[in-house]
Amino acid sequence: MSFKHRSSRYDDGDDDYRRRPPARWSQGRKRGADGKLRQQDDADSTLFDDQEKGSYDNPHLDQRPPSFTTPEAEGPFPRCSDWAKCVEEEELRTDVRKDMQRYRRRILVNEMYDRERKASSGSSDSRDSPVPAELETDERVLMRRQKQINYGKNTIAYNRYINEVPRHFRQPGIHPRTPNKFKKYSRRSWDQQIRIWRVALHAWDPPEEEGSDLQAIEPIDLDDMEVESGASGSTESETSSHYMKACKAPASTPENSCSGTPNKMRRTENEMEAAFDLGACLADTEDGSLWSS
Amino acid sequence: MDNTTKEEYKIQSFDAKTQQLLKTALKDPSSVDLEKVANLIVDQSLKDQVFSKEAGRICYTIVQAEGRQAGSNVFRRNLLNRLQQEYKTREETRSRSVQEWVCYVTFICNIFDYLKVNNMPMMALVSPVYDCLFRLSQPDSLHNEEEVDCLVMQLHRIGDQLEKMNVQRMDELFFLLRDGFFLHNELSSLARLLLLEILEFRASGWRLSDSAQKYYYSEVTD
Repeated sequence: MSFKHRSSRYDDGDDDYRRRPPARWSQGRKRGADGKLRQQDDADSTLFDDQEKGSYDNPHLDQRPPSFTTPEAEGPFPRCSDWAKCVEEEELRTDVRKDMQRYRRRILVNEMYDRERKASSGSSDSRDSPVPAELETDERVLMRRQKQINYGKNTIAYNRYINEVPRHFRQPGIHPRTPNKFKKYSRRSWDQQIRIWRVALHAWDPPEEEGSDLQAIEPIDLDDMEVESGASGSTESETSSHYMKACKAPASTPENSCSGTPNKMRRTENEMEAAFDLGACLADTEDGSLWSS
Repeated sequence: MDNTTKEEYKIQSFDAKTQQLLKTALKDPSSVDLEKVANLIVDQSLKDQVFSKEAGRICYTIVQAEGRQAGSNVFRRNLLNRLQQEYKTREETRSRSVQEWVCYVTFICNIFDYLKVNNMPMMALVSPVYDCLFRLSQPDSLHNEEEVDCLVMQLHRIGDQLEKMNVQRMDELFFLLRDGFFLHNELSSLARLLLLEILEFRASGWRLSDSAQKYYYSEVTD
């Protein structure tokens, strides 16, 4: 493959200069990359010859340092067939890695804090703080999950939500919370959490008359949703139907309709995570970090 | 924002309608056809050498604005797609018009310089950018002052970043440049001067020592 690239790159008609051997005086003075003078019998082959011939089928070049014989260093930069896709993937991967480091740091800090508290109070702490063994570390899974989260976050509803409800006003059970991508979940459970989260976010969809031409908003069929989540028979369906009740009415002013609602639901995943606020961990990723310069 | 004035200056070269489109793209990217904008910018870059040197900045601003506003990257995707298309036909471009080819290299290097992914250069562009610079270091290109000038300008701007991404290829590139410097008797003295300067530039860690600076540029500044 690299050879193909090379030949197409240098194959631009006949060009005498390229085949010209070095001027007389320079023969025998030329040094290889290792700093040693080149061999006498090497003098006829210039760098350009190497590239022309492709050096693989040129046995006497084999004694040269590798940097001479592999002009096409692939290394960690494989040529990609679709630049745009490669860059998007690269971005997702580095985002996920960055988040992961931050998350791990956060776990350590939490553990330290817990230990101190336990030591001083003497009480045993039954809270569920994630242990590293429970972390989802498969990068492909994390990237897939991050993509789903990005879809949810790249919506007008999400922007309205984070602007209207400041972080410290958000309450579990009332306000949607981004699923924690670092926890081990089955695919099914994860997809369900994402679905519930996205449905809940729709409560912040803009009122139709101003928002309709800005973005195609997925229509929410509330009945459909309830049936669907009910059918899965998980505790999560409870949560989602609660959302419906809480936020159904005037979608235009969700903070009024929702924040006053007494909160007793949504004890499933989120309560366990209360010790450890992923949202807070990732607070700065929310807006510009994809593009932070 | 002092950026705005600079960008407005740069888009002067477009006709009024296009200027309006670009201004909107900078402020409210979701409301325009970003594929069209990407193509416009590339087209202009391939024609206009001055623009190709600074087009990365506009692209950066649009990418930022789109990310902030919509969280998407339609513009970047279309820009890269188009860049890749042009890359595939670069030899034809060069034989058709050296000027357009030089503009292309200038533009892709400028994009490499400005658009980053999580503060890192876009890896997908590392090999293609190197390929272009290698092409410019071939003997036939070294005999063309326009191409030599382009080559050294790119190395001045992004040489250190490229080297960090792939040292080995930079070494190979400089083997070619050293050979070019002293093996080709027909090189003009300007081409040699440019090559010598870039050799010194890299040798002293991608900067010029004060005395070298004086040597190469004193007459220009005086």
